[in-house]
Amino acid sequence: MKRIVVLGGGIGGTTVANRIQRLLSREVEQGQVEISVVDKEGIHAYQPGYLMVVFDKMRPEETRQEESRLLHRSIRLVKEEVSKIDAAGKKLLLAGGRSLPYDILVIATGSVLHPELCPGFAEGAHSFYDLDNAVKLRDQLRQFSGGRIVVTVAGMPYKCPVAPLEVTFMLDDYLRSRGLRDKSEIHYTYPIPRVFGIETVAPVMQRLMTERGIQTHTPFNVQKVEAASRRLVGVEGESLDYDLLIGIPPHRGADVIAVSGLGDKGNWVPTDKFTLRAENQNDIYVLGDATNIAISKAGSTADYEAETVAQSVAAQARGLPPSARYEGRVYCWIMTGLAQATYIKFDYQHPPHPPTPSFAHYWNKMIYNRVYWDMTARAMF
Amino acid sequence: MSDESPAPGPKTPDERPPATRVVDARGAWCPGPLMELIAAIQEESPGAHIEVLSSDQGSRQDIPMWVQKAGHELVRMDKENGFDRYVVRKTH
Repeated sequence: MKRIVVLGGGIGGTTVANRIQRLLSREVEQGQVEISVVDKEGIHAYQPGYLMVVFDKMRPEETRQEESRLLHRSIRLVKEEVSKIDAAGKKLLLAGGRSLPYDILVIATGSVLHPELCPGFAEGAHSFYDLDNAVKLRDQLRQFSGGRIVVTVAGMPYKCPVAPLEVTFMLDDYLRSRGLRDKSEIHYTYPIPRVFGIETVAPVMQRLMTERGIQTHTPFNVQKVEAASRRLVGVEGESLDYDLLIGIPPHRGADVIAVSGLGDKGNWVPTDKFTLRAENQNDIYVLGDATNIAISKAGSTADYEAETVAQSVAAQARGLPPSARYEGRVYCWIMTGLAQATYIKFDYQHPPHPPTPSFAHYWNKMIYNRVYWDMTARAMF
Repeated sequence: MSDESPAPGPKTPDERPPATRVVDARGAWCPGPLMELIAAIQEESPGAHIEVLSSDQGSRQDIPMWVQKAGHELVRMDKENGFDRYVVRKTH
């Protein structure tokens, strides 16, 4: 029997497990293949929903579901922490002492927030990259009565690269709707010499910010947050005082990647950008935030990568050479206000050109927030 | 400026100042090489020379712009076979 193990129950791990199950359904039914997902929490989070929570467009409980409800009934869910991946021995060492052998492993361990890597961040900055902090920011904004808000990115790479843009545009709209915009300043900082990484997108976003009176500071790399004096200090020598600081914390790959000797210095797994195989590993695939591929760390990336990984894993499980390739496809909506959006669609060869923001794109995003569980997590479309 | 600091201005490859640290960011896409440079500069002392190797064309704009804004010095930039070599002196 072939044992396929998926490490991680986020968007990448969940959708790839369901896709593998669909491709190998007969082999699974006949007991020739077993698929397992290992996830410590057993709770699946729809992370794009956190931004929606901040602006009261989703309720906190709408961003979570039991992982067991999303996986096909034939997939085994192992709710345990993994202490090490033993690639040579082809097994996972579980924190409880057991080991879980595999023939093919899919690493989908995502990224981990490390606010402590930026001095003062935890004390001085609000964030929306986890549910608790998104709720706190929502509550803080409800009490906000005017002042200077600074949006900043405290390290690259970070997941959902468009999120700092989105929170800035939504904030602008939110303050206008509450009659507070003329009592407020919005400042946006970004670590590189433009407001977004992709060169075809940055001028479009810069224009929207200029039109809306959002002040931009680039390049601005955060050295520290002085929480007591409410000051954001940049490496380049520029400092910004704030009344409310919204920050994206530094990210790293999962600790288990480092412990297992499979990562680079950021704990990202060196991965072939086309085959999505871990470098020098024939039986390990990687997808989503966990890779070191220079592409957006985004749910959409993981979703598209899951198609490739599922095909390759299914072929390998059948003893065939895996031939599927990931061409770098990504599709992300960008909220440009409380009720308007645009999107970026691109791959390795074709850069994105976002269309004019509209209500229609926003509506599509709102629908996706609802159908995510079936469409993406359960991979039913 | 310390006695060990090289004189500013163009140099031939033979006169390239000895690098305190070499950051090989070849193969990394924008903004990877710039982020690697910023991380290295934060860890080094004033006067250090950081050499960045980048095959990303975006670096040709981003690295000089960042170095200027941050008040450091771009000592030289050489086109090599398939990549660019930047030497940056940390000034403060």
